[in-house]
Amino acid sequence: MEEIISLKNINYSYYGKIPALKNINLSVKKGEMVAIIGLNGSGKSTLLHIINALILPDSGEFLFSGNPVTEKSVNNKTYGLQLRQTMGFIFQNPEIQLFCPTVFDELLFAPLQLSLPVETAVDRAEKTLSFLDIEYLKDRPVYMLSGGEKKKVAIASVLTMNPEILLIDEPLSSLDPKTQTFFIDLLLELNHAGKTLIFTTHHLDLVDHLQPRVAVLSDEHTIQKTGTASEILNDEEFLISVNLIHEHVHKHENGEHKHFHSHYVFHKH
Amino acid sequence: MENKIPAYLVKPVADQKDLSETKGPRLAFLDKTILNSARAAKAIYVQAENSTVQSVIQKINPHIKLISLIYFLFIISIANRIEAQAVITAFIFSLYVLAKLKVFEVYKRTFLLAFIFGFVIVLPASLNLVTPGRIILNIMTFNKPSHFLIYTIPQNIGFTDDGFKVVLLIFLRILNSVSFGMLIVFTTSFPLFVKSFKILGVPDTFLMIITLAYKYIFILSRTIEETYFAFKSRLLGNIKNEKIREVISGRIFFIFKKSMRFYENTYNAMVSRAYQGKIILHSQKKLSYHDFVALFIIVVSGICIIYFL
Repeated sequence: MEEIISLKNINYSYYGKIPALKNINLSVKKGEMVAIIGLNGSGKSTLLHIINALILPDSGEFLFSGNPVTEKSVNNKTYGLQLRQTMGFIFQNPEIQLFCPTVFDELLFAPLQLSLPVETAVDRAEKTLSFLDIEYLKDRPVYMLSGGEKKKVAIASVLTMNPEILLIDEPLSSLDPKTQTFFIDLLLELNHAGKTLIFTTHHLDLVDHLQPRVAVLSDEHTIQKTGTASEILNDEEFLISVNLIHEHVHKHENGEHKHFHSHYVFHKH
Repeated sequence: MENKIPAYLVKPVADQKDLSETKGPRLAFLDKTILNSARAAKAIYVQAENSTVQSVIQKINPHIKLISLIYFLFIISIANRIEAQAVITAFIFSLYVLAKLKVFEVYKRTFLLAFIFGFVIVLPASLNLVTPGRIILNIMTFNKPSHFLIYTIPQNIGFTDDGFKVVLLIFLRILNSVSFGMLIVFTTSFPLFVKSFKILGVPDTFLMIITLAYKYIFILSRTIEETYFAFKSRLLGNIKNEKIREVISGRIFFIFKKSMRFYENTYNAMVSRAYQGKIILHSQKKLSYHDFVALFIIVVSGICIIYFL
């Protein structure tokens, strides 16, 4: 498979003081599904921002389809639009991603910025509303949606660009179990359709469900390990070392006990 | 199992300091501000709810509503007879009924505005000092008229019939303008109404800014309310107003920083969806038969009011 994203020795810090990423090396192939896992504050979201060229690394090399992504290339209108068209970013907080007057405008925003004909944009928006089963939200103002609806609209607003790569920051955050299941199914469906998926999470159960290739970010903001989902999930010692599973108290009928586990994967007694 | 809970957490509440004699914090001024802020959020909800009621008025395309608003405000301003204004009042009222709005709630506010700006403020204009004519309500009588430079103060000062007619006309004009404007606002989704300004040539970027500002007012009102409740739930005892002001100014700064962060993230979200400095918004759905009928009724009603009354 063709390598579509390549990060070599990437470093990034906030205000030149607070380190967010250190010496990151990661490559993603076309059609692949990659999970970036780590604790809160390990730099997962920052890494996605860098991949989407919303921020540029302090040092290191970022190649997109073999071409270096630099300030100059991103500011080039043609290249910038190509880059945006290829990558869709679904933010953790859908509230910030929804800024248009209505849901339908949200879905039309990106296609219209990409200068697609209005008919094509409208057709895409209508098909996406139907695909996600949210036609009833079409004319609703975005601030009048529930959390799950906002997330669905945020995804829909990115899908209408028809991006090759989907960057998803914490796909299951603040969603109820039913909506979580909906999103898991959706991500699998999109990946089967050929989309490259890169998502961040600290939910090991999501990794277990989707079986992506996994890159683990440690508290030190470095990639500690990459591997298949089963390689990572079965390395209990490693997951303990990066604090992704931990010892915790547990109640069974009348008794309480304490052991290492993550709620879904390592529930061993 | 090893218990690491600090000792004070297992102490019963009754063992703690007795606060029954302590005066509560004085937050009346804050309550008022917060309630107003919450009211702003609620108004947005109510407006959005009204605009989704399925009635003939709500279904009209926002473009037609905007054109109707401009046209009708013009008709109201050129209709010089009280009868014409009264017919317009009845016509607008019937539209309210058709729109299934809470007529009493809306008219309560409309009447208040019309009473202040169309009656109280202009009432002195109906005195014979300003509008000469037959006095129908005498309020003061002098021994003789007084002259001062070019001004004359008549012997009797009172309200004239012509003056009253002028006041009534202004009152009805304001009542009709406000109630028609409110009808449009209450029956149209605000974002769609803002978008309809596209037909007047208002740039998309400007329309987007208005929509975002509206959204932020809503979010900000909710944030202020929630922050206040969190603050109030932890306030006990007699705290000096000075201290409260200090805490609040800190909270205001926090909300300001939060808004800044929000704005930066929203900008990033726009950039990631191919925004390159110029916003392009889609025009609204095409006009239907229903919209043309509505436009026809409005235009013909306006012409009839001016021509026949």
